[in-house]
Amino acid sequence: MDYIALTKKLVKGCLDKGADQAEAYLENGRNLQIEVRNGEIETVQEAASHGVGFRVFVRGRMAFASCNDFSEGALKNAMNKAIGFAANTTVDENNVLPDDKGLADVSGLYDPQIAQVSMDQKIELAKQVEKLAMKDSRITKSAGSGYNEGEAEVYLANSNGLSKSYRETVCSFGVYVVAEKGDQKSSGGENCSRRYFQELKTPQEVAEKAARDAYEMLDTRMVKTQKADVIFNPDVARSVLGGILAGVNGERVLQGASFLADMMDQKIASDLVTIIDDGTRSKGLASKPFDGEGLPTQKRTIIDKGVLKGFMYNTIVAKRAGVQSTGNASRGGFRSLPGIGAHNFFMEVGPVDPEDIIKATKKGLYLRGVTGYGIIPVNGNFSGGASGFWIENGKIAFPVKGLTIAGSAFEMLNAIDMVGNDLDLNRSFTAPTFRIKSMQIGGE
Amino acid sequence: MKTNKKFFADDIPRRKFLQMSLKGGIAMAATPALLTQLLSCKKATSVGAKLELDPQIYNRTIQKALEKGGEFADVYVENRISRNIIMEESKFKSAVFGINQGAGVRVISGDKTGFAYTDDITEETLINAAEVASYVARGTDKVPPVDVKEQNRESYITVNLPLEEIADEKRLEVMQRANQAALDYDPKIKMAFISYYDEVRGRTIANSEGLQLSDELPLMFFIVQTLGVGNNTRHMGRERLSKHSGFEMFDVVTPEEVARTCARESIVMLEATDCPAGKMDVVIQNGWGGVLVHEAVGHPLEGDSIAKKIGVFTGKLGQKVASDVFTMVDDGSLPNFRGTTNFDDEGTQMKKNVLINKGVLEKYMTDILSAKQLNMERTGNGRRESFRHLPIPRMTNTYIDKGTDKPEDILASSKSGIYVQSLSGGSVNSTTGMFNFTCREAYLIENGKKTTPVKGATLIGNCLDIISNIDAVGEDLAFGPGICGKGQMAEVSAGQPTVRIRGINVGGSRARG
Repeated sequence: MDYIALTKKLVKGCLDKGADQAEAYLENGRNLQIEVRNGEIETVQEAASHGVGFRVFVRGRMAFASCNDFSEGALKNAMNKAIGFAANTTVDENNVLPDDKGLADVSGLYDPQIAQVSMDQKIELAKQVEKLAMKDSRITKSAGSGYNEGEAEVYLANSNGLSKSYRETVCSFGVYVVAEKGDQKSSGGENCSRRYFQELKTPQEVAEKAARDAYEMLDTRMVKTQKADVIFNPDVARSVLGGILAGVNGERVLQGASFLADMMDQKIASDLVTIIDDGTRSKGLASKPFDGEGLPTQKRTIIDKGVLKGFMYNTIVAKRAGVQSTGNASRGGFRSLPGIGAHNFFMEVGPVDPEDIIKATKKGLYLRGVTGYGIIPVNGNFSGGASGFWIENGKIAFPVKGLTIAGSAFEMLNAIDMVGNDLDLNRSFTAPTFRIKSMQIGGE
Repeated sequence: MKTNKKFFADDIPRRKFLQMSLKGGIAMAATPALLTQLLSCKKATSVGAKLELDPQIYNRTIQKALEKGGEFADVYVENRISRNIIMEESKFKSAVFGINQGAGVRVISGDKTGFAYTDDITEETLINAAEVASYVARGTDKVPPVDVKEQNRESYITVNLPLEEIADEKRLEVMQRANQAALDYDPKIKMAFISYYDEVRGRTIANSEGLQLSDELPLMFFIVQTLGVGNNTRHMGRERLSKHSGFEMFDVVTPEEVARTCARESIVMLEATDCPAGKMDVVIQNGWGGVLVHEAVGHPLEGDSIAKKIGVFTGKLGQKVASDVFTMVDDGSLPNFRGTTNFDDEGTQMKKNVLINKGVLEKYMTDILSAKQLNMERTGNGRRESFRHLPIPRMTNTYIDKGTDKPEDILASSKSGIYVQSLSGGSVNSTTGMFNFTCREAYLIENGKKTTPVKGATLIGNCLDIISNIDAVGEDLAFGPGICGKGQMAEVSAGQPTVRIRGINVGGSRARG
């Protein structure tokens, strides 16, 4: 099916039915999911999917409908529903669609070989990573391993003449295992995602990390409630970055619902903290040539050496704020309205070897796991469950779990005093290892 | 399309990171040629609408699915129509209409599952999906399928004001009422966020055991959040209301009540000070505090982790695992509750399942596969987010059963600690049993009284310890609605009476004095 022609036709259809502006966002793709356990295939799941979302503007009111049936009758029905539903919303002069016909130059999103790699090879990858993870004698059970892949095409057309598309692939594999000792159980897992099948890590590397994560957390102890330095390993970066991302959402800022609302151009973190949002990086897992409403993506500095430099916008919110959209319109698939979201969002690499961060810490917590919601964007409060290693005199001493950590975002960000050189840009939401001086730890 | 990295409230690790799909979602399309909707909306009877495909199509699909072997196959057809209207800053910002239909075909052979799904529902696409799903059973023994025959299930859902007959003006009106009530509550409430969601979901299930079952269920989900702004502090309160029912949901609890409950929390929490950290006694008020038991005990009792022998409750059936005052139930038959769908998404009747009875572990929650693997009954917990997902054991309405203590006595007899009035959510590792949840509204307890409000803290512990350390259970059972994530979403409710737990680790930001 010619989806470019279809999206244009659908836009015209909405205009014919009474919309002043219209946008059609179509996704078409397939996915494959294999789960293996104890050396045997447990689940095989394969499907093709498609769907389209219509955004319409009728005399300043916005509404949306989505549909996954591409028959003529169903599409007409969906367009009618969208236009009819617009009567429910409030007129807003900011309800406009973008007209930038450009595309960001983004490469490395699509692997033409992925469909050629045999199913047997993919199954073998899942089997291998499990087999290797089970090798250590402390690992007693497998919770399963798996391989996933997907291919998708995205098509967007709007009534300002935009008509753009791209295609992408992503594949991943991983394993999850259990280590036991007496009555103790500990679990650990690792996965690897890439755009290109050939660039996946070796099953050895993934298996070893999964196994280590599990057996290193046996024989944990508790420590007393106290203040101590806390080292955030890249696996837990989300607990800090998530709140910053939500805090720079331009709409929240306008509504006064962000702890960063009044902080533009202010110093909100230590000099060592630079945070970037990049939709253009080649092969980036969250890279794309245009955002959820068709604007070219960018690479932007959000925090520059501790100073807040950038909020994020889509077209409607940008108009309201009197600025240009930053290309951060984000959709959770064809079924959702474009909100505001990040692309590849990360803390910039620092100069210090992560081993040296541990060595420089007299007493502290090396975090491997954090639970909870992270930094609350409305007020910057942070509280979470914690597990990892206790550090004494610059050395890992013993594993800990069942602790809590808490603080406020500004205290934490300003107390980042060491940033590591271990930034892995193969992940889309990540940071290097970093240390926060003195956080409250809850224990016995 | 991305690897699914959503931050789930439930930390069930394996399925979380292994899953990847086109954005899972719940928009549906009604294709007039295939679907006949019967709108019956009489009082005190369930809404029934049948998705009509010729039963021979199901039989042929199932035969194709079992062609290469396998002992069980099913076809799940789903059609969902949804409306979501958002109000922010006193404006109706967006209105989203979703139409989503599709079918999934599954084959089970031993411990293996093959699965394929399609957006288009025709005999051809179903047969194709069956063929793809059938490969996993190659070379295995085959159990011959039984021709499907339509059956019934007990219904616990009544609809008085069907959603199809509600004009959009009424939806806007309840939102407007909530918005006004929130803003009127106190000048420090600067803004309200109102989300109105309703859907009608039609299901047809046909399987190789000869089952054919159809229904159509309405679901409503109303969320109010209020932003309170004080001197240098802000607090976002939240209150949610959800039922499988018609629009009459708002006659039982009004939009004003929802908004005022939410606004009250926002205002009170503007005075919150730092919460102390460390191990202390915790009294949790009745209601959505039940997320405690959903996380700490519910997930670990789901049959899939037990069947894989990696769950923390593996091998403990019949043993005393909790204190004498602790009885825990999962009940999919509570009338009109958010977690009640009459029968699960595999066609098994939902019912009341007592999981832990006065401290003794009596039952796990199963789906068809784990029931088979464990040689246990099907408890009616096989649920799926949509036709794009495989059913797995999920909870329905999970609660700590009421005890005999008066809630005011529980507080009065607590010397010190934290009184938790509401929670956001939590997560659990079903293998290690470590769970945690996050408080929204909480107070210090000093000499048996609630005193200063304290900022949202994390509570963390091990589930086996927690349920042994519950030493008081009130008589005031209440529930709250929630969204459970386990690699896919499920609508649930969780409840409890006021309870006290001795010795949970609290993650505050100040050292105890």
